[in-house]
Amino acid sequence: MSWLKYGFAVCLYLLQCTDAVFEDQVGKFDWRQQYVGNVRFAFFETHSQASKKLLVATEQNIFASLNSRTGELFWRHVDKTGPEGNIDTLLVHGQDAVVVVGNGRLMRCWETNIGGLNWEVVLDPGNFLTAAFVGVQDHVKYVAVIKQSAISFHYLSNGHQKWIENLPDSDTVQYQTVYSDGQGEVLVLGVVPNSHIVVIAYNIEDGEIMKQTSVEAPWMSSLEESCVVVGEGVLLCVDPITMSLYTLPLNSETMADMNQILLQSLDLEVAAGFQPVLTATQPNPAHPPLASFFLQLGPEHHILLNLNDNGIITTLRDFKPSRLAAFATSGEKTVAGVMTPKNETACSINLFTIDTGRRLLDTTVIFHLEPNGGKPSNLYIQAFLKKDDSVGYRAMVQTEDFALTFLQQPGRVVWSREEALAEVVTMEMVDLPLTGTQAELEGEFGKKADGLLAMVLKRLSSQLILLQSWIGHLWKLFYDARKPRSQVKNEITIETLSRDEFNLQKMMVMVTASGKLFGIDSKSGSILWKHYLENIQPNSAFKLMVQRTTAHFPHPPQCTLLVKDQETGLASLHVFNPIFGKKSQISLPTLPRPVLQSLLLPLMDQDYGKILLLIDDQYKVTAFPSNKNVLQQLQEAASSIYFYLVDSSQGRLSGFRLRKDLSTELIWEVVIPVEVQKIVAVKGKRPNEHVHSQGRVMGDRSVLYKYLNPNLLAVITESTDSHQERSFVGIFLIDGVTGRIIHEAVQRKARGPVHFVHSENWVVYEYWNVKARRVEFSVLELFEGMELYNSTVFSSLDRPHPPHVLQQSYIFPSAISTLEATLTEKGITSRHLLVGLPSGGILSLPKMYLDPRRPEGNLEQSREENLIPYAPELPIRTEWFINYNQTVSRVRGIFTAPSGLESTCLVVAYGLDLFQTRVYPSKQFDVLKDDYDYVLISSVLLGLFFATMISKRLAEVKLLNRAWR
Amino acid sequence: MNMKWPLHRMFHTWLAMQAFFASSLCFTDPDGGPFATSQGNGERFKIEGRAIVPNAKTQDWVSSSRVLVEGEEFVGFLRTDGSFVVNDVPSGSYVVEVISPTFKFEPVRVDITSKGKIRARRVNHIKTSDVTRQTYPLLMRALGRQSYFFEREKWGWSDFLMNPMVMMMVLPLVIIVLLPKVVNTNDPEMRKEMEQSMNMLNPNPELPDVSEFMTKLFSKGSSKPAGGSKGSRSAAVKRR
Repeated sequence: MSWLKYGFAVCLYLLQCTDAVFEDQVGKFDWRQQYVGNVRFAFFETHSQASKKLLVATEQNIFASLNSRTGELFWRHVDKTGPEGNIDTLLVHGQDAVVVVGNGRLMRCWETNIGGLNWEVVLDPGNFLTAAFVGVQDHVKYVAVIKQSAISFHYLSNGHQKWIENLPDSDTVQYQTVYSDGQGEVLVLGVVPNSHIVVIAYNIEDGEIMKQTSVEAPWMSSLEESCVVVGEGVLLCVDPITMSLYTLPLNSETMADMNQILLQSLDLEVAAGFQPVLTATQPNPAHPPLASFFLQLGPEHHILLNLNDNGIITTLRDFKPSRLAAFATSGEKTVAGVMTPKNETACSINLFTIDTGRRLLDTTVIFHLEPNGGKPSNLYIQAFLKKDDSVGYRAMVQTEDFALTFLQQPGRVVWSREEALAEVVTMEMVDLPLTGTQAELEGEFGKKADGLLAMVLKRLSSQLILLQSWIGHLWKLFYDARKPRSQVKNEITIETLSRDEFNLQKMMVMVTASGKLFGIDSKSGSILWKHYLENIQPNSAFKLMVQRTTAHFPHPPQCTLLVKDQETGLASLHVFNPIFGKKSQISLPTLPRPVLQSLLLPLMDQDYGKILLLIDDQYKVTAFPSNKNVLQQLQEAASSIYFYLVDSSQGRLSGFRLRKDLSTELIWEVVIPVEVQKIVAVKGKRPNEHVHSQGRVMGDRSVLYKYLNPNLLAVITESTDSHQERSFVGIFLIDGVTGRIIHEAVQRKARGPVHFVHSENWVVYEYWNVKARRVEFSVLELFEGMELYNSTVFSSLDRPHPPHVLQQSYIFPSAISTLEATLTEKGITSRHLLVGLPSGGILSLPKMYLDPRRPEGNLEQSREENLIPYAPELPIRTEWFINYNQTVSRVRGIFTAPSGLESTCLVVAYGLDLFQTRVYPSKQFDVLKDDYDYVLISSVLLGLFFATMISKRLAEVKLLNRAWR
Repeated sequence: MNMKWPLHRMFHTWLAMQAFFASSLCFTDPDGGPFATSQGNGERFKIEGRAIVPNAKTQDWVSSSRVLVEGEEFVGFLRTDGSFVVNDVPSGSYVVEVISPTFKFEPVRVDITSKGKIRARRVNHIKTSDVTRQTYPLLMRALGRQSYFFEREKWGWSDFLMNPMVMMMVLPLVIIVLLPKVVNTNDPEMRKEMEQSMNMLNPNPELPDVSEFMTKLFSKGSSKPAGGSKGSRSAAVKRR
C-alpha cells in the first residue's frame, strides 16, 4: 500500500517540477557534435565507384564510418576505454572490416553497410603482433593472426578458427610480418635481432610447416620498422648504418643471403639521424604487392622506386622537398599521391603514376595550412576513375592537431573535422563583448571633460547611431522573413559577435588534451577560432581561468591557461584573448619550480585583471600580473589570503596563509593515514555561485538557517582495502581556513568511483554499494539551526557552534559517468542535478529528490514545505533527459554557466561528443514561454475592444430610447 | 551515518520468499563470497542474448545500439540479427542492458558463478537478493520507443471553459444577466421573499459586516493624512 502512496505523491510532484524538452524545441537552442578521436587507421571503401564511406579506427577505441562527401557519421561503435578496447589493427576488404581489439583479446568483423557485427571471436591469450588477410585463388577467405607464440587462421565469413599452430622458437624469434600472395602458402617472417631472419612457410589448408629457413641479417633489429614485401614476394629492407637496401626473394627455393644494394649506387643519401621508411602497397590481399614503393630518406624527402623482376632497383622519381606520400587504388589502377610544401602556408598534392613516376596532369590540389594549426602528419588518397578512364581523386589530410581535412580538386575543402574536440579537458564560458555601437555608448561615460556642448553632441550622435542600427536590424528582419527559412543563414564571424539581450549566447573556450584550444559560439556550435599549442606533453594537466571578463571595455578580456607537465610538475602559462583566440603579448612570469597550487583572487589590478597566485613546491608565491599596484594590494590583503594544498600520496591536507613578503606560513595540517584510506578528490564551492536565500522556511513558519561556509572543502577518501566487506568511502568536510573538521561520514561496504557536487550548504555524492551491487546517492546538508550566529558576515574563525548535519541516501538505478549541478545568475531558481549516464543520456534530476529532510510518511507539515515523502529509489524518467535522443557518448564532464536570465542555465556536456543546451529548472518564469499564444491573446484583446465598442453603442441607443419614452 | 530504508516492514515477507528461492535453486546466495566481482585471475565467460525490436528496420537501430554490462565495464555489440555476445566477462553479478537512443529495453541482472553457470533475473535494486528468473540466453524485447518529450498543452474550448478563472468570471456574469430575467423583481411579494432570504444569510444583523468595517476604516484613515493617491486606493478597495 505504501508503494501506491509514494507513487502517487511522486506523480504529483512530477507535474510540479518538470524540466522537459518539448518536441518542437528540438534543435532550437541545443546542438550536438559527434567526434571519433584521433584517427589511427583510415580506409576509403573502394569496392564500388559510388561508395562514399570512410572507415576509421581511432585512438579513442572507436570504429566508425564517415560519409566522405559531408564528413558526417554514418555510424559509430564506441568500445571500452583504456587498453582493453584499444584497436590494434583494422583490415578492410569489400564490405567486411576486421578489427583486432585489446592487444589481441578479441577479433570482430563488421558489416560496413549498416554497421552491424558479423562475428566476434575471442582469441587465445598472447601478445598480439600482426594480422593480415589471406587470399586463395583471387578470393580473400581467411584472416591470419600472429601472436607472440602462435599463428591462427580464421574464416572471414564466420570467424571460426581453421587452425592454430605454435610458432617455433617464439622466445627468441620476434615474429613481426605475415605475407601471402594468394598461392597455397603463407609466410611468417620473424627476426632474431642482430642475428638472422626466420622465414616459415605454412600450408594454408592445414597449417603444416612446409619450409623453414633462416637468413643471416646481423644488422637488423626490427623487421616491422625497416622491411616491406614488394613485387613478387621480395623482402626489401633498409639499413641506415650501412646506407643500403637489402633484397631477399622469399619464393625462391634457395634463400641464401640477402642481396645488398648500396644507396650510393642509386645516388641516394639518408638525412643525418633519420630512420628511413619504406612504404609498399598491396591493393588486393589475394595478389602480390606492387613492384613500386616509396623510400623516405629524410623528413622532407621521398623517392618513388621500382624493383624489377631481375632484382634491380630503379629510381622513378625523386620528390624533394615532399612532406607526405601515399598510394591509392581504384579498380585496377594504382597511383601515388605526394604532398609537397609550396610556401609557408600552403602545400600542394599531386598524383603520379606508379609504373613510370610521371605526373598526372590537372591533379594538383592546394592544401592551405591553418595559421595556428599543426603540420600535416598523414595523407589518405581516395582515387576514382572518371568517365574518360582518367584518374580523379580526393585527398584527406590529417594534421598533428588531430584535424581531418577532406579536399577536392582544385583545393576546395569539402569538409573538415576537429577530432581534438573528442578529448575536451576543461572549458569556460565567456560573455561576448558588446557591439561597437554599444561599446561606444559605454565609452562615452569613461571619458571626462569634453565640455558640455561636445558631450551633448556626442550623446545625440551615438543615439543616432543606435537608431540607425535598430532600423537596419528591422529591415534585415523584414527582408529575411520573405525568404524561405532554409536560405536564411546567419553567418557568424568573430566580427559580428555581440552579446544578446539576455546574455544567452556566450563564447565557449575549450581546452583539449592535445593542446589545441577552441573558441566555439554557444548558440550555433561553430568554431570561431582555434589555436594549437605545440610542445604540450601528452599527459599534461590544464587549468583554465578567466582573469578579465568582457565587462571592462576597453581592456580586452583575458584568459589564462595553466599547463602543467604531470611528470616534472613544471608549469607554463598561455595568456590569450578568449573572444579572438589571439595570444596576449603580456610578459609572463618565469616558473622555474614545479607549481603545486594556483589561486585566482577576487582582487583586481588597475587594469581590472584578477590576480593569479601560483605556489611552487617551496611554498613561494608568484603573482601574475606582478606590478607595484598588485604587490601593494597583496600586502594589504595578505592576512586574509589562505590556501590549501593536498598531497594525496602522503594523505596530507595542509592550510597556509600568505605573508606580506609573499612567503607563506603553515596554519593547519590534517593527515589522513594512507595505510587505511587515500584521498581521491577535494572540492570547494564554485566561486561564481550565488545563494539567494539564507534559510528554509519550515512547515511551522520558523526558519532553518543554512550553514553557508564559503571556505568549506569536501574531501572524499576511498579505503585502500578493496575487500568488499571492509571497503568504504569516506567524506570529510573541512574548513579551508582553520582546518577544522566540520563533519565526517563513512559509507561502509562502498567503493568508488565517487562523483560528487559541493554547493550551497550541501554535498551530494555517489558511490557503488559493494554489498547490494548498486549505485547509491547520498546527500549531506548543513544547517546552522533556527538562529543565525552572525547574519551579516561569515567568518571561519568566529563560528563557535558546529552545524547540524542531515544525511539521507538513495538508490540510483543506473551507473553514472559524471555529476554536476545547475547554476543560475542569482541562485533564486531551484537547483537540478545533471547526471551523465553511460547510456549517453543527461538526466536533469531535481535537487528536491535529494533532500535529507524528505520525511517517512506524508505529514501535513512536510507537505506544506513541499517535501516529497522518502522513497528509496530515485526515478529516472526519459522525459528528464535534457538531450532527448542526442546521446553524448562517454560524457566526461558537464559545464554549467549562468545566463542573463535567472531562470536559464547554460549547459555544455563534453565527452566524445559535445552537447550544448539551456535548462530551466523552475521553468521560464521570467520570460514569455516560446509556446506563448500570441494569436489567442491578441484575438481576445481585439474581441474585448470591439465588444466594448459595440456595447457602448448599444448603451447609447438604449439611453436615447429611454429618453424618448 | 547508517542508511535507513523505510520499507523494512515489507522485507519480512520478501525474506521468506527469498529463502524459498534459495532452496529451490541450486545457486548460492548471490550476496555471498563467490559472487565478488572481478576475481582477476579467474576464468572468463560470455553473456549471450538477443535483442528484438518488433517492426523496425535493422539499420534503424542495430548500429546505434550497444550492450552495456555494469555501466561501461564490459561492452558488447549487436549483430545484424540483433543477437549479441559479451565476451571475456569474469564470474560475478552484472546488470546487462541494451541501450539505444530510440528504443527502450529493460535491464537484466546476470549472475555467473565461478564455475560458469549463468542465470538471469529481474533487476531489483531495493531487494537485491530477490530472484525472479528470466530466460537465459537473454531475450531483450524492446518495450517501445523512448519517450523524451512532453506533450504541449493544446488550447481547446473545453479546457478554456473549465479553467477556474474563466468559470469564476463567467458564472457571475450569467447570474447577473439571467437572474433578473428569470425572477420578476417588480413583483412585491417576490421582493419581500428575497429580502427575507437575505436576512437569513446574515444571521446577526447587529454584527458589523467585515467589508463594511474595512471600507469605513480605510476611508477614515485616508481622509486624515493628505487624501490624493490614498483616496483613490481606498476607492479601489471599496470597489472590490
